[in-house]
Amino acid sequence: GRLLVVPMDGSHWFTMQMIVEKLSHRGHEVVVVIPEVSWHMGKSLNFTVKLLLVLNTLEDLNYHFKFFAHNQWKTQEVGMFSLLKHSGKGFFELLFSHCRSLFKDKKLVEYLKQSSFDAVFLDPFDVCGLILAKYFSLPSVVFSGGIFCHYLDEGAQCPSPPSYVPRILSKFTDTMTFKERVWNHLSYMKERAFCPYFFKTAVEIASEVLQTPVTMRDLFSPVSIWMFRTDFVLEFPRPMMPNMVYIGGINCHQGKPLSKEFEAYVNASGEHGIVVFSLGSMVSEIPEKKAMEIAEALGRIPQTLLWRYTGTRPSNLAKNTILVKWLPQNDLLGHPKARAFITHSGSHGIYEGICNGVPMVMMPLFGDQMDNAKRMETRGAGVTLNVLEMTADDLENALKTVINNKSYKENIMRLSSLHKDRPIEPLDLAVFWVEYVMRHKGAPHLRPAAHDLTWYQYHSLDVIGFLLAIVLTVVFIVYKSCAYGCRKCFGGKGRVKKSHKSKTH
Amino acid sequence: GKLLVIPIDGSHWLSMLGVIQQLQQKGHEVVVIAPEASIHIKEGSFYTMRKYPVPFQNENVTAAFVELGRSVFDQDPFLLRVVKTYNKVKRDSSMLLSGCSHLLHNAEFMASLEQSHFDALLTDPFLPCGSIVAQYLSLPAVYFLNALPCSLDLEATQCPAPLSYVPKSLSSNTDRMNFLQRVKNMIIALTENFLCRVVYSPYGSLATEILQKEVTVKDLLSPASIWLMRNDFVKDYPRPIMPNMVFIGGINCLQKKALSQEFEAYVNASGEHGIVVFSLGSMVSEIPEKKAMEIAEALGRIPQTVLWRYTGTRPSNLAKNTILVKWLPQNDLLGHPKARAFITHSGSHGIYEGICNGVPMVMMPLFGDQMDNAKRMETRGAGVTLNVLEMTADDLENALKTVINNKSYKENIMRLSSLHKDRPIEPLDLAVFWVEYVMRHKGAPHLRPAAHDLTWYQYHSLDVIGFLLAIVLTVVFIVYKSCAYGCRKCFGGKGRVKKSHKSKTH
Repeated sequence: GRLLVVPMDGSHWFTMQMIVEKLSHRGHEVVVVIPEVSWHMGKSLNFTVKLLLVLNTLEDLNYHFKFFAHNQWKTQEVGMFSLLKHSGKGFFELLFSHCRSLFKDKKLVEYLKQSSFDAVFLDPFDVCGLILAKYFSLPSVVFSGGIFCHYLDEGAQCPSPPSYVPRILSKFTDTMTFKERVWNHLSYMKERAFCPYFFKTAVEIASEVLQTPVTMRDLFSPVSIWMFRTDFVLEFPRPMMPNMVYIGGINCHQGKPLSKEFEAYVNASGEHGIVVFSLGSMVSEIPEKKAMEIAEALGRIPQTLLWRYTGTRPSNLAKNTILVKWLPQNDLLGHPKARAFITHSGSHGIYEGICNGVPMVMMPLFGDQMDNAKRMETRGAGVTLNVLEMTADDLENALKTVINNKSYKENIMRLSSLHKDRPIEPLDLAVFWVEYVMRHKGAPHLRPAAHDLTWYQYHSLDVIGFLLAIVLTVVFIVYKSCAYGCRKCFGGKGRVKKSHKSKTH
Repeated sequence: GKLLVIPIDGSHWLSMLGVIQQLQQKGHEVVVIAPEASIHIKEGSFYTMRKYPVPFQNENVTAAFVELGRSVFDQDPFLLRVVKTYNKVKRDSSMLLSGCSHLLHNAEFMASLEQSHFDALLTDPFLPCGSIVAQYLSLPAVYFLNALPCSLDLEATQCPAPLSYVPKSLSSNTDRMNFLQRVKNMIIALTENFLCRVVYSPYGSLATEILQKEVTVKDLLSPASIWLMRNDFVKDYPRPIMPNMVFIGGINCLQKKALSQEFEAYVNASGEHGIVVFSLGSMVSEIPEKKAMEIAEALGRIPQTVLWRYTGTRPSNLAKNTILVKWLPQNDLLGHPKARAFITHSGSHGIYEGICNGVPMVMMPLFGDQMDNAKRMETRGAGVTLNVLEMTADDLENALKTVINNKSYKENIMRLSSLHKDRPIEPLDLAVFWVEYVMRHKGAPHLRPAAHDLTWYQYHSLDVIGFLLAIVLTVVFIVYKSCAYGCRKCFGGKGRVKKSHKSKTH
């Protein structure tokens, strides 16, 4: 079959790439549309790539992202609203603008039209894939870590009772106190109120392209299959819909043997073993003061540290700490000598940690990382640090705790065994469902009828109102007739009595 | 590992058998316990059967089944029917309850179960006897079911089911309802609990006595680790689901075997017109004579050969093209390319065999979920539903000719069949996997939603909404009051000034 892929840059692409590659190996013709400038996409791909001319340069992209990332070292923007409104805004506007460039490229659009694809496989992060799917009327498979705002509730018609389903970026667990539930509710209301404003540019572009006013709900609701990079070992159990597929841990595979360089480091670590430290590909530079504090803490533990860091070398770096520009994270974590994993708790790293059963010290920076860290912490498989407030002592204590306190290792091993015990590998599952949508031109039998209801119909408010009206009418009539009856009986008597009285007088 | 199985007699047991066989082949030891008086549950080569004494006989159970099959043909007015059904359900369920009670009070038997140290329990929660045993022995439970009456399954899994598009069972609504149908759905939802109490609340009291703590039926059902649901969204309408629900609909659509010589001969003799398979399931042994004759007449009017599984008296007007058999290899016959149509009572077993083999259906639902199954297949254009009480010979003839000659029925059922069979993993393997999963991990607590620990008003956030509303109202009240006060100060003052001014001028 023929498949159109609309990915999103950054770590999102790493997992999606695995699926796309496998699909390509299975003989499907795959066309990937990516912007001309990107961080990771378009490198060494063995399938057709359609480059999309965009107005901005890699410097623009880096500038906006760095502006956003750097802000996280000053004040962390917690919660949906502040994340989207402040430093992230420019970055998102840039992403949304790619879509406008795409549809201005008449040759590209014509090519895509001529290709008559069977389906679109898309990351909804920048909305453009959704617009393309609707524009070409193609069935779509969404690939996502989690859907921003209330668009999962609206677009998939998936109920998320705010009483036990924490909102995304809320840092709550599934067991909330009354106060937390109040805040959870408020963030839900905030999403409803402000998200349309945040996605305004994207929706404007969509309305322009489709030549009819649309909403985010209209863009999301035709989606055939929702694929989530998550697993209930990490995520709290919650209602889902039949067209949702969970493929968390897709990147969890047997580690390859280490290269000589890393093998040497690991062997030299002795009985204490190693600690793997990476804040992900997005963080290139840490403010100097913070970096020195980290370096100090790392020097105080007996393990050998492998720190993936591309910034300036902190002057107080201890002997046990090895700075590298890149490290084979999954392979190192899979080594029996791995004692702990210091991570920014991006979903990639978290699943590698779970997969290999390595307890974690988490320093969430932005986005869903806070939520991931919270989930691992409540399961007793790691310790979360606030990267802005933590001192060298905090980091040292956290590391010693997860390494020496047996319960962390036990908990992560339990999660690991649950996670790896599955009837089918997530990669195969993902490939199956993409092919399924291609074969059957969508999956209309998995689409709930709820999409065709208004909100008051969905919640049966009209029915409740109607039944209430009937009950009230009946009560009213019964009351009135009783009252009338009473008046007839007693009222009559009363009058009789009165007249009687008046007679006796 | 060691697995304890507590099944329920009837067709439910038959689909469970495949799972048990597979588990045994994987090296697990399976112990099945059942009342001494059972019809379908018998000794098997791949499991250990342990029977416990009950205060009723095989004949009683058979009689109950036979009566159930017979009563559906009674032409009674609606209300009388309801009363009769109510009484029958009450009678039968109290019989089954007494069986459960005998098991739980059988100290010796229960002690021997306890000493066996099972890893998990597989049970059909249609009657929650197995659930009580699971709690008594502190075993993680896997449920194997179609659906529970009165949405008990939704309640016990904390699965949301908006009444606006999830039709209640027995409502004959689809997922697209008009206003009045939605009103009907709501009314059923409001009243069904009351009807179910007759059957289920005695189990609550029995469990309270055995477990020596206050438990409701919901408390009994909700600890289940995995719910293996014999549903598939090819047949059922899409609705919210929970992470611990596993859908294994079509599990009974096993590999086909070659036909026996007898049936092979019938099929070959049918010529170009092919065959029609007709079975009303194992529950119906006898059809009233008049109805049977009408059916026989209709069957005689079509060119196909009809294979009719029927154990009752042979209708006198049976045509030459109709062959009466005591039993037939239903799945194998439906799988034969010459199968043109399937006349079924639309039990879930038969429906999935029809979907699996892609044979259009004429459905005569008799009771329970059969009405719902028929409705679902009808809305998908894969079959025609007949009211078995009201239908005439002409109706049946027309229905058969429609599904056989109108190409759209065949096309629709073939589409459903291809969607149904296109799955990443076979339902039988999936069921076996999840039973083993629960045995390995002693349950699946990470799939249990936190909603179980909330009260109903917390779940619906009524306390939060109330609190927020109270704040808003207080703020509005304060603002209003201070505005009013401010206004009075300003305008009121002015007014008074004016007044005094006026009074001065006067």
